[in-house]
Parts: sequence; C-alpha cells; structure tokens
Amino acid sequence: MSTPITTQRVHWDLNYDVHLGATWGRFMQGLTEQKILANKCPECSRVFVPPQAYCESCFVKTDEWLELPPEGVVEAFTVAWLGFRGGPKPPYAIAGIRLDGASTLLMHYVGGLDLGNPNTIREQIGPGTRVRAVWAEERTGQILDIAHFEKI
Amino acid sequence: MATRAVIAGVGITPASSPRKQTSSSLELVQEAVWGALQHSGATPDSLDGIVIGNIDGFEGTVLGAKHLVRRLGLGPDLPVSILNTGGTTGGNLVQVAARQVRAGDRRRVLVIGGPTFFGAEDLQSAINTNSPMIVEQPLGMGAYHMGAFYPSAYTERFGATVEDFAVSAVQDHEHASRNPYAHLRNTMTVEDVVSAKPLSYPLTMAMVCPVSTSANALLVCAEGTTEDLRPTPVLIKAFATSSDPYLGGGKNDFAAMENLAILAQKVYQLADVRSPREEIDVVEVFSPYAPMQPMQLEALGFAPPGGGIDLIRSGATRIDGDVPVNLSGGPLCTNAGVAGELAPIVYVALQLMGDAPEAMQVPGARRGLAHGTGGTFFQFENLAILERL
Repeated sequence: MSTPITTQRVHWDLNYDVHLGATWGRFMQGLTEQKILANKCPECSRVFVPPQAYCESCFVKTDEWLELPPEGVVEAFTVAWLGFRGGPKPPYAIAGIRLDGASTLLMHYVGGLDLGNPNTIREQIGPGTRVRAVWAEERTGQILDIAHFEKI
Repeated sequence: MATRAVIAGVGITPASSPRKQTSSSLELVQEAVWGALQHSGATPDSLDGIVIGNIDGFEGTVLGAKHLVRRLGLGPDLPVSILNTGGTTGGNLVQVAARQVRAGDRRRVLVIGGPTFFGAEDLQSAINTNSPMIVEQPLGMGAYHMGAFYPSAYTERFGATVEDFAVSAVQDHEHASRNPYAHLRNTMTVEDVVSAKPLSYPLTMAMVCPVSTSANALLVCAEGTTEDLRPTPVLIKAFATSSDPYLGGGKNDFAAMENLAILAQKVYQLADVRSPREEIDVVEVFSPYAPMQPMQLEALGFAPPGGGIDLIRSGATRIDGDVPVNLSGGPLCTNAGVAGELAPIVYVALQLMGDAPEAMQVPGARRGLAHGTGGTFFQFENLAILERL
C-alpha cells in the first residue's frame, strides 16, 4: 500500500508597517543622535527606557523626558548557542541592562566577548557587569542604532 | 448562591513529535473531543457551547480555530468563543468557560486545546515574531532564550548551579515515563541533562521542552447538572490571571517569579488556601524550561525563596511525596502549544476524579493546583485551584 501524503509546506511573505507614535518616535530620533531618551511617571517617579506613553502602574500620562547615560549594569543574560531561521548568527549574547537612573531594563546585545568557552561566560557578563553602549556608524532610528553594549 | 462550575470529563491524545505525527490538527482535536465526551458520558446534543483557542501566526493561518469547530461534527448551532492569549491560551480557555457557566449563560461547555506548535518549520522563529516589535523583537530571542534569563539571575542570587537546575528535568522525565500520553518518556540522570547539547546559556537541550503534537479537551458544566455523567465532578474552586508589563525589560526581578507570587496570593485567598504545602495534594506547573520549576514552586509558596531546588531534591514533589509536582512529566516532556497549556488542568482534574492512569494516580487527592504561563519572558500567568466534590 502506498503511504498517504500527510504534510505540505506553506510559506508567507508579508511586510508590515508598524506605526511607532510620538513616544517611541522621539526615542528613535534620539538614538540617531547617540542619545538614549527616557521618560518618567509623574506619580511613581519611575524612569522608563524605552519610554512609555503611559505608566502601566499608575495609569497616568508620562510627560517628563530625560537623557540617560549610555552605561549600566547587566542584571540577567543568556548566550544563544543555537539561534533560529531569520535571526542573528549564533553564538551571541543578550542581556537585560539596567541603565544608570532607569527603573526598567533595556534588552540588548552584549558584544566584544569570547563566547568560545561556556565556562568563562559568567565571569565575562554575569549579573553586576558594567557595560556601555557602542553606537552603530549608520543610525536610522532603530534599536540597533546601538550596535551592542560592551563591557567597560 | 451563584452557580459554580465543575469539570466532568477530559480527553487526551497521546503525544508525538511533528515528524512522526500523521494526523491533522482537526483529526487530533476530534480524537480529544470524542475522548472527553466518552469519558464524561455526555452526548454532543447536550452541549451548549465551545471554547477553543489558537496562537496567532503559529499555524500558517489567521483563521484562529474557526476552521476547526464546524468540522468537528457537533452541530451547526453551538456558540463558539475563540481565545488567543498566546502561550496562556490553554489555561484561559477553562477560565472563560467557567465564567460562562458561573454567569448562568451556559451549562455544558466543551473546552478544546489543539496542537498549535504543530506547523512552524522553526518554532523559535515563529515565537520571535511574538516578541515586542521594534524594541525587543530584533534582539534574536526565541522562547528558550528568554527562559534562560531567569537562571542567570537566580544563580547570581542563590548560587544555584546547572547541576541544581537539572534535578527538575530528571524528575519530570521520571514522571513522564509513567504517563502513557507523554511525548518524551525516557528517564535521564543529572549528568545526561548537564552534558546535553547547549542551547542558550545555561540551558541545555535536555532542559528545554520538545515540540509536541497532541490535543486535549475537557467539559465544564454547571454544578448539579452532571447526574447523567460518569466522572466524579471536580469543582473549579478559584482562578485568576496576572500580567507583567508588555516589554520584557519591564520585569522587575529575574531571580524571582514575582508576578506569579502576586497571583498565587490572590487565588489562594479566593480558594481559602492558607498553607499551600499542607492543603494542596497535587500540582501541575507550566515549566517548559527546567529552571522555571523550582522558581515557580517558590512563588507558589511551596518553598522559601532559593529553596525550590532543595524541595525537589527532598523527594517531596515525587509521586510518593507530600506535594507531587508534574506527575504528567509537565511541558518539559510534552508541549503541544494550546494543548500543552490546557494539560495542567486536564491532569489535575484526572487526579482529583481518581481517573489518572494507574501508574501516576495520587491516591485520595482532593485538592489540586494547575498553572499556566506564556508571553514574552513569560509575563502572563494563570492559576486555578480545583477540588474533588
């Protein structure tokens, strides 16, 4: 008896425009000028980066803007040994970085590491490591205008 | 007194890898639905609603589950509610069905979780599209990369090692080996887990769930309307959901499951649970990555912060322990998307009915906890307390 054909491949190829709005629009403009812009909740005083139009906790509009230094501390991280289709080429390191003065973490790549030996990863970018933004040469208003962060 | 909702029948299909699966989504869902109807003894014409879910973009369709329901053959008049809350869809299906029944609008609702991880050629690639667009999606993260952030922070605070995290994988596999429906039924040693292929530091392949295919279904009924049904009804005593901020970077602390702890307090209060370890007989948590389980057990109050691994090592979470956890093998051994997120409720209900497969049945279990989580960096949590009536 012949074998039934039980699987067929389907492919989607679609582009979308995501409309950023005023708050992320200003953040992206800042990145082109090598500035990391954040905003602040008038009630709880927490500082958001990336900025948010509203405070998710206090349900009020955030209207005060400030520039944060491009430096901070790694709080959580991973090194991807295996990536995925359409993603960056592994290995690569990603971290949750608490910029000085921020109440939130900024997720980003950490570059300039020796990822060859898993046993030395933690001492290189473990939580507590101070890192600084490395700017991309060409900046077009995207999160990757910061090419990555690097250990200070 | 308001109507209470009970579970009065469940259906599970045996799980396998997508490669070995020869049934379609529809066929798997049909099998689970027929299983639930057979287990309960309910006839299709006694149903008055369906709650079914999907995850956007994971199945090469944007029709949600709408293309499945009519073809189930349950009739043209059944009202259908479609849910799409990403990874937490499975747990939320039951919460919505229970609310419909509690509201008095419906009396017998079929809840269906299909095999929604079935189709993506590279599931991590599909999951990356669910990451917050623009600011986090370009950073090369699929689900397990996000899951790997937690052990990095937990290790810093509590000094846990990869060998420590491995104990939860070893136990899940041991439990799965007793579950005839589980996908991965091999047993493993700590050494096997630690030396498996590295995926995303510190997670090895053995600490990360497989992509499975299976379907689950259950029947949610109004209390007092199940005289014609066979199983011992299980009360959906209390449930709720909770969410962290949208961006992964909005999470306050990666060394603790803070959002789950807040949710647990709320649900325990609703269920009048004061001392979870003493009052809960069986637990199913959604821990697709091994390090999540000890952290979840801490957030749920079964162990102090940093004590989750010791709790597992003590044997308390085994089938003969005082708080058996993931006797199904959990999502680490079987994860079929929406079906996988519905599974904790299905297995806890089976335990409380006394209808679990013999090798995994906890004798006399009366109260159970079922948990689900999903979303970017697992920012959504859902939790339910079930009780044998």
